[in-house]
Amino acid sequence: MSTTTPVPTRSAGLRNLLTRKGGNKQGHTTFVDRAALGVAGLMVLLALVGPYLAPMDPYAVDLAKSLTPPGSEHWMGTDANGRDILSRVLAGGRTTILATVAVIAVATVIGTLIGTAAALGGRIVDEILMRICDVGLSLPAIVVALGLAAAMGPSLQSAVIALAATWWPGYARLVRTLVRETRDAEFVESARVLGVSRTRLVLRHVLPNSLSALYVQTTLDVSAVMLVISGLSFVGVGAQVPASEWGAMIAASRDTAITAWWTVLFPGLAIALTAIAFNLVGDWLRVRTDPTLRTGGR
Amino acid sequence: MNTAEETPLLEARNLVKTFSGRSGTRAVNDVSFTVRRGEALGLVGESGSGKSTTARCVAGLLHPDSGQVLIAGQDVTRARGRALRATRRRIQMVFQDPYSSLNPRMTVADLVGEGMYVHGIEPDRVRRRDRTVELLETVGMGSEHLDRYPRSFSGGQRQRIAIARALAVGPDLLICDEPVASLDVSVQAQVLNLFGDLREKLGLSLLFIAHDLAVVHHLCGRVAVMNSGRVVEQGDREQVYTSPRHPYTRALLDAVPVPDPAAERARAAGRGAVHTQNHHEEKR
Amino acid sequence: MSGHPTQGTPLLRIQDLCVSYPTPDGLKEVVRGVDLSVSRGERVALVGESGSGKSVTARSVLRLDSEARTSGRVLIDGQDVLEMNSKEVRRVRGARAGLVFQDPLASLNPVKTVGWQITQPLRIRGMGRREARRRAVDLLGRLGVADPARRFDDYPHQFSGGMRQRVVIAIAVIAEPQVLIADEPTTALDVQVQAQVLELLGELAQEKDMAVLLITHDLGIVAGFAQRVAVMRDGKLVEEGDVDRVYASPRHPYTRALLDAVPRIGDQPGRRLGTAAATADPVSVSPEGEEL
Repeated sequence: MSTTTPVPTRSAGLRNLLTRKGGNKQGHTTFVDRAALGVAGLMVLLALVGPYLAPMDPYAVDLAKSLTPPGSEHWMGTDANGRDILSRVLAGGRTTILATVAVIAVATVIGTLIGTAAALGGRIVDEILMRICDVGLSLPAIVVALGLAAAMGPSLQSAVIALAATWWPGYARLVRTLVRETRDAEFVESARVLGVSRTRLVLRHVLPNSLSALYVQTTLDVSAVMLVISGLSFVGVGAQVPASEWGAMIAASRDTAITAWWTVLFPGLAIALTAIAFNLVGDWLRVRTDPTLRTGGR
Repeated sequence: MNTAEETPLLEARNLVKTFSGRSGTRAVNDVSFTVRRGEALGLVGESGSGKSTTARCVAGLLHPDSGQVLIAGQDVTRARGRALRATRRRIQMVFQDPYSSLNPRMTVADLVGEGMYVHGIEPDRVRRRDRTVELLETVGMGSEHLDRYPRSFSGGQRQRIAIARALAVGPDLLICDEPVASLDVSVQAQVLNLFGDLREKLGLSLLFIAHDLAVVHHLCGRVAVMNSGRVVEQGDREQVYTSPRHPYTRALLDAVPVPDPAAERARAAGRGAVHTQNHHEEKR
Repeated sequence: MSGHPTQGTPLLRIQDLCVSYPTPDGLKEVVRGVDLSVSRGERVALVGESGSGKSVTARSVLRLDSEARTSGRVLIDGQDVLEMNSKEVRRVRGARAGLVFQDPLASLNPVKTVGWQITQPLRIRGMGRREARRRAVDLLGRLGVADPARRFDDYPHQFSGGMRQRVVIAIAVIAEPQVLIADEPTTALDVQVQAQVLELLGELAQEKDMAVLLITHDLGIVAGFAQRVAVMRDGKLVEEGDVDRVYASPRHPYTRALLDAVPRIGDQPGRRLGTAAATADPVSVSPEGEEL
């Protein structure tokens, strides 16, 4: 059996490192996995209800309280404009996470469609689609975002569009490889002999058995996309001041970072924690979803 | 009017299949055979003899370069559309490796029921499930397995599920590509017995591809021997096994290990002289 | 158990061997108290179905699995392999005990010439390049490789399956080990090549007076190759004895069932094959639906 797909992951070792079980291949859920799932779940929850949890108005400027250190009133302190950082982190989670999810969702859908078409559509279709992918892959997200910002004005929307447009070719490539591997599997041939229609063959037999590596990749990419969005906001082409978005918050606090550490620490921590959590969940999913990995042997 | 009786269920006429790349070697070269209703034809040969490629051409998984496959007289290499699907249904296939021939994400009920669903044989969900239970019983499995996934079954059980899946569309002929090659002898015995039962109960015809001459002898009344893409000998079981005409068949039969120490010793003694000169035959 | 005539002290003696592997659910015992011995010049077959522990037994003899926890004794010429340190074990492999595996492609190094690989066991022991080459070419010729002097410098992928297995055999026997362990050596081969390879193996063993332990699932191969046979099931030997005796009148019901499960040319076609040997083919479903 022999055909276990080597899943391209950027940090496949992180989970093993943390769980200290060289090659935890059994898909056993460890403490670290539960913690990561918890944090990731919390972040998703935050995206839904974060703004309602904020103890204060995240936009209320109070210059008298400017740069108050963390204390009993402001748990995470305030920024240069005297806004409560805890409230801004809670509210900003929604912006950051929703933007990330939007990028990944759009890129996944386009990538799956293009990748599947390339794998099953014959040589000419494959050739054309892959050349388009090459073009997409050669464009850096930052450059596209800067271009779009120039054309449409800098906004979170243009950052999301730019990122999705540069992100899908990677998925298309991955899906193409995965589908090509599955399309010649014996169970697909078995379905062909049975007389299963082409649509059903793709939807029921090929894709479900191809895409688990894609899900893993997207989960792992959550952290990468989030960092890029925050980065774009940081350089000024993403979310605009005074919007509470984690990257934008750090950007706005550039000048105060040295004297008032809390202005960058807490949004930075939120980004790091979410990124690590999703990374770990991705690793966990990778082992969990692959039936061939789980049964071992075959 | 028994012309229908006389048309063979399956006929392969001068099949040729060449794979590109390998300097155009013909994997299957002018292969012809027939399988009559209720008959079991064994296709034996060593690896690379073209027996699997032949099976896949007959099953419609490969398109032959030339030649025809006729199912009950209808040429399926030319046919298209609905008529083709209806005819194709009459021939089903069981694959060698039960670990890769079942979709790991479908339950037993879905796997066995799929054929009935896609061909509209049993559109009703409940009735389909009842029929699935019947089919599982036919292959010697209980209905308690309906909602399980392939991974929880042993190789022999998976092969039974694969057989039930093929039987669900009511085929007249089953192509079996080394269906017991990856099973332990004891499980192999169970599956071979099952094939025997199915032939008796359902009047099923078989095109049985195997490298194991003893297995083919056990199951098939007629045998075709393949070597380098060609059928070198074809005939009734008795004739092929007891008085093989082609030297290749003889060599093949002579090499089969027999689970009988005395017979093996006698043969080794007889072979000694012949064998020393054969040593240098097998080159690249 | 040892009712057979002993030809002097056995070269390979396995005593009460137990092997377990760590799994997430604790230690799993795969071999449970196996006793087996092979004398000089004797050919013994260990048969069983998958999961019987036959391969694990063979691999334990040369301590090939670092994860395995073993107990008992494995004596090669009186020395306990299980007691040795890794350096001593390495010295035993190749020199005193040779190994032939099922898959010739997996056991050959694709980027080294076959000549390099065959001469390694000799070179490690300090033999000169010239002499090692001479012996390897001799042996290859002996094993029926045509034009061995030229093939010496070829790479494994330039060989056919049967030829590759001959190379593997050459590597295993070049240093003239006293014990040869062959784990399903012909399972990947076609019948004709299988017959040739087995015959060569037998001839070599006889010539060098080696003790051979053949691991196989094929009762036909056993009949033609071995003098003595041990039948294994669930990590235990259920029966052991002279091949003629075991095949003619098996004592253990499992052996009988196994022999009855094999179709033979010459039998009544379509006869009901014995299925008693199959362990009721249980559905091995744990609560999580994982395979056991």
